[in-house]
Amino acid sequence: MEHGNLLNWLIFLPTIAAVLCLIVPSNRTVKLIAVLATGLTLLLSLGLFQHFAWWGTAAGDVFGAGYGQKLYEVTKLTWITLGEGARAPKIEYFVGADGLSFPLILLTTVVTFLACLASWNIEHWKINKGIRGYFCLFLLLETGMLGVFCSLDFFLFYIFWEVMLLPMYFLIGVWGGPRKEYAAIKFFIYTLVGSVLMLIVLLAFYFYAPVGLRTFSLIELANNAAIQDAFKAATFLGFRFAPLMFVLLFIGFAIKVPVFPFHTWLPDAHVEAPTPISMILAGILLKMGAYGLLRISYPILPTAGMWASYALGLLGLVNIIYGALCAMAQTDFKRLVAYSSISHMGYVLLGIAIMTPAGLQGAMFQVIAHGISSPMCFFLVGVIYDRAHHREINRFGGLWLSMPVYGSLATLGFFASLGLPGLCGFIGEFWVLVATFSAQAVWPWMTWAKPFAVIAATGVILTAGYILWMIQRVYLGPQREEYKGFPEASAREIAILAPFAALALLLGILPDQSLFRFMNGALNQIAELFK
Amino acid sequence: MSTIELLLVTGVLLPLASFVLLAFVGSKLGKPASGWVAVLAMAASCVLAAVALMQWQGLDAAGRAAARSAPVLWATLGGMPIKFGVNLDSLTLIMFFMVTFVSTWIFVFSVGYMAGHSDEIDGVSKFHRFFTYLSLFGFSMLLLVIADSLLLLFIAWELVGVCSYLLIGYYFHKKSASDAGIKAFVTNRVGDFGFIIGLGMVVLFLGDLSLAGAAERFHHEFTAGGPLFSRTFCGLSLATWMGMLLFCGAIGKSAQFPLHVWLPDAMEGPTPVSALIHAATMVAAGVYLTARIFVLLTPEAQQFVAIIGCITLTLAALVAIVQTDIKKVLAYSTISQLGYMMLAMGVGAWIAALFHLLAHAFFKALMFLGSGQVIEGCHHEQDIRKMGGLIRKMPVTGLTFLVGVLAIAGAGIPALWMPNHMKLGLGGYFSKDEILAVAWHRVYGENHGENEVAAGAEIQNPKSKIENATVGTPPPEPRPLSPLLFWIPVLMAYVTPFYMMRCWWLTFMGKPRDRHVHEHAHESPLMYVPLVVLALGTFVSSYYLFRPLVAAAAPHPFLTASYDGAAAEAAEAHATMISHGAHAALATRVGLAFVVGFVLAWLIYRKGLAVGEKLAAALKPVYTVLVHKFYFDELYGLVLIGGTMALNAVSYAFDKFVVDGLVNLAAFVTERLSWFSGMIVDQGVVDGAVNGVGRGTWSLGGLVRSPQVGRIRNYILFAATGVAVVVVWIAFV
Repeated sequence: MEHGNLLNWLIFLPTIAAVLCLIVPSNRTVKLIAVLATGLTLLLSLGLFQHFAWWGTAAGDVFGAGYGQKLYEVTKLTWITLGEGARAPKIEYFVGADGLSFPLILLTTVVTFLACLASWNIEHWKINKGIRGYFCLFLLLETGMLGVFCSLDFFLFYIFWEVMLLPMYFLIGVWGGPRKEYAAIKFFIYTLVGSVLMLIVLLAFYFYAPVGLRTFSLIELANNAAIQDAFKAATFLGFRFAPLMFVLLFIGFAIKVPVFPFHTWLPDAHVEAPTPISMILAGILLKMGAYGLLRISYPILPTAGMWASYALGLLGLVNIIYGALCAMAQTDFKRLVAYSSISHMGYVLLGIAIMTPAGLQGAMFQVIAHGISSPMCFFLVGVIYDRAHHREINRFGGLWLSMPVYGSLATLGFFASLGLPGLCGFIGEFWVLVATFSAQAVWPWMTWAKPFAVIAATGVILTAGYILWMIQRVYLGPQREEYKGFPEASAREIAILAPFAALALLLGILPDQSLFRFMNGALNQIAELFK
Repeated sequence: MSTIELLLVTGVLLPLASFVLLAFVGSKLGKPASGWVAVLAMAASCVLAAVALMQWQGLDAAGRAAARSAPVLWATLGGMPIKFGVNLDSLTLIMFFMVTFVSTWIFVFSVGYMAGHSDEIDGVSKFHRFFTYLSLFGFSMLLLVIADSLLLLFIAWELVGVCSYLLIGYYFHKKSASDAGIKAFVTNRVGDFGFIIGLGMVVLFLGDLSLAGAAERFHHEFTAGGPLFSRTFCGLSLATWMGMLLFCGAIGKSAQFPLHVWLPDAMEGPTPVSALIHAATMVAAGVYLTARIFVLLTPEAQQFVAIIGCITLTLAALVAIVQTDIKKVLAYSTISQLGYMMLAMGVGAWIAALFHLLAHAFFKALMFLGSGQVIEGCHHEQDIRKMGGLIRKMPVTGLTFLVGVLAIAGAGIPALWMPNHMKLGLGGYFSKDEILAVAWHRVYGENHGENEVAAGAEIQNPKSKIENATVGTPPPEPRPLSPLLFWIPVLMAYVTPFYMMRCWWLTFMGKPRDRHVHEHAHESPLMYVPLVVLALGTFVSSYYLFRPLVAAAAPHPFLTASYDGAAAEAAEAHATMISHGAHAALATRVGLAFVVGFVLAWLIYRKGLAVGEKLAAALKPVYTVLVHKFYFDELYGLVLIGGTMALNAVSYAFDKFVVDGLVNLAAFVTERLSWFSGMIVDQGVVDGAVNGVGRGTWSLGGLVRSPQVGRIRNYILFAATGVAVVVVWIAFV
């Protein structure tokens, strides 16, 4: 465990900036502060590379002997003491980074910074009121998100989970589209249901641990054999403890991922949310579900994970196929991208469900890859929405001719989403498919894995179908009169798209150097817990 | 990294550099500079390939082994390392050279051709974009050729596919063009679906994605009787399934039945693209893949390959007879020739298949470019019924095209009738002859006891040059094949010259049928130089140049028998087991097929279209089926596209009304419930109770208030009465 303050600065720098936003005089300064703060957070987060550098050190040195054995930039402070005495359990402010959270922290800072740049033209939005409020909430949102990924105390995790929820509600509900209230309330209540279930589990984990060992530390809960044994033996209201807790947690996280049938908040939220918020929603918030599964559900309740693997795999499969089919039926551009997110997150769930190292690697890669390609796609939609003020796919056409640079970047972005080799989307999909197919090599009882892989692989055909069909309707075809005068993507827009494009290429071409080596060690340690 | 590898890798990266350059500054370079950048990069690659090839020829077996360096780690899948490197053998080098050589000349042709064909998109110049895509294609294809890992091959494979999509849809303002691009990509993805599952099987059962490693483990599995061979699914061993699934990728890419439907539509792309991608190189990638996974194919899987190839070559040859668009004739002939290559792979004629691939690349590129010249010269007219007599206006094009026709028809003099078995003929003759000879051998060879090994004249690969031989068990005796796998290809060998001559005759000979088309016809030098070069290549690319190189790379199969493959241990000195009997049998059966086909075509079409139209009318039902290409498009459109669309609509309706409906219902119920609890229970009952208490107190208060009217007398009266009552109560009770 290496102590450090980097994560504290990361988490609270946006909060400080949010407070500053409230007191500075002009709107322009507010915007500047927001961009500077998110940019500085991004730079700070790069500091984590000192621990995860790919030169020199062997994997064991970076990732330590086992799960949670080696954490970086740790701060552990007692926050609330429950009861009396030295052994009294404590709720701690416990943050730290390991191979699982490191890529997600980086993703958060990158996407947030680019989304902040994407908010720069807020004056031209239909609802341009309360610029100060917007950026203030935006920065608080970043604090919430980074807090979730950094927390290693369940209680703290829960707090940050809630912290993130509230700004999001207002950002959709105030600055959203025509049905913003509906979408915001739907998002809020859905996530809240998940939080309540998580709260039950949080308390149950605490009280079902043997007295004296009670803790909220996620690392301790996973590693302490006595706690693990107690969880395995316990019952709760007549049900076996571990499976029940797993289900409750899963519903909480499934809502976030989102997993069928808890997914219908997502298209509504995306369609109504302003572009930068969609970027954050798709790029980061959805990832919290997967992260929660990997950080909490599986390490702490591995046996229940096995018990549920078939169901989870099946749900993943449904997500992949059903999401793709629904995407193909869309005529609203943003809704199409939203459903494609559902389809892509299905690979994540499937990869996690099979519980093999290859599956976890694929799932996490897909998490990051989707965190790059989907904000890019949402921004691409936003760029033409800013110009056309509608998102009807069938009313577009020939945009590549009006905006050649933008058209080329759009093709790249959507091909990344399609899973074209050489771009980021391919690696995750391929890893998950192959891992699922060969899951029986690790778990001989997983007889369903091969058929699942075969069915999931049909997703590659459907994905190609809806993406190419969309590209044809929006970007190809003869130039339409009403779009002839569309200006080419501005320098700002290209500055937002280019990093995404570069990352998509980098991850696709050098998956190991850009991502796998920073997290595989940690993922293998989680897989070790399953044995 | 050895020098040869360095040359090849640089050769791969040059087109990539050109792509990057053109992607960023192509629009500034404009026309024709951006085209020449691409040409230069590809030509440089070609020179490097030639140097590499010459160096390679100078090495002995030990030197060749030493030239291969270890692959580098790319990523780890689970615990399995995935390494990428250069697959250095003769096949790689000759393919590399062929691709760069043909590409260079097609690029040159394109500079001339696209000058007149690229400015038509709403006044926006797209000239540089064409060469950007072409460069990317060159990179992807070359990467595919040098890939030593199934995964790297698959990556390049998909990149090639996306280039094809972009180039077919180059005229994307036309819906038909972008439709064709989508069709090509999605159809290929259907094949890739099988490919991916095949890769999954490779990972699961072999645990190594590199070509060499997978082959080794496969052999080990075979000798150890592992699950791949001991377990079956639907009556076929898992090993067979693996081979068939991997081959699915090739079915898509090489436009084999039943995924052949995309290739004719791909003619929507500019003609140089058709020449480069859809005739010479990309579609051949499927055959190349099959060659690379040949050692993973069980006899049953091979049979599957052969049957697919046989069906494909037949369907395509028949459809080609009735095509009237010059590019469509060539497209179907491409499919048919690819079918021959697959058939060859399937019957074990590994060398012949690749030999045919190389020969075909030259003559098909030649003919496609010729057709491009014709289309350009005739102002975008592609209908051969409106042409005729163009030889006088375009002599170079007409004659070079004829070279291609002769080559594809398999024109040559059967060795049997030549002194000293001398070989004389164009590339297509030898390769097709060899394919059919092996097929004959597989069908009849063993039964007739004629499988004495051929004489030394056949042997082009002395033992020292054998590269891929792995020591293993001798190949098991292969099963005899169905005679249909010999007779149908033979029959189609008569059809090929017929439709090609029909096309050539209608285009170049006879009287001009459309005055307008004929009058303006012309040819331009920038475009016919490549034609002449490729025509020369077609002559040279014959037996003596390509075949030895291909033969040197032939795998030593341990499970499957490759009849012309290198060195079965029983026949170390002789690389081939093709008997004289096979060639003799062939000479009498197809030796002069090209003459028969040509004469037949000449008889029917020498005076124009009249006879052909009469024949079509007489054979109306057959003609209708052929014109509709056996109704594949209609069937797929109805069943697959229609089915998917219906499924989409149903899924989304389900999502909207059922899943989201339930969510909204829950919200509604909660809302009603809260209304009920709020308005009825809370306000009515609970608050009602509270208010009731309030109201009760109020009315009680009112009741109590009435006597309190403020008169002291009354109070005293009440008080006195009260006291009296109390006193009475105490006194008497």
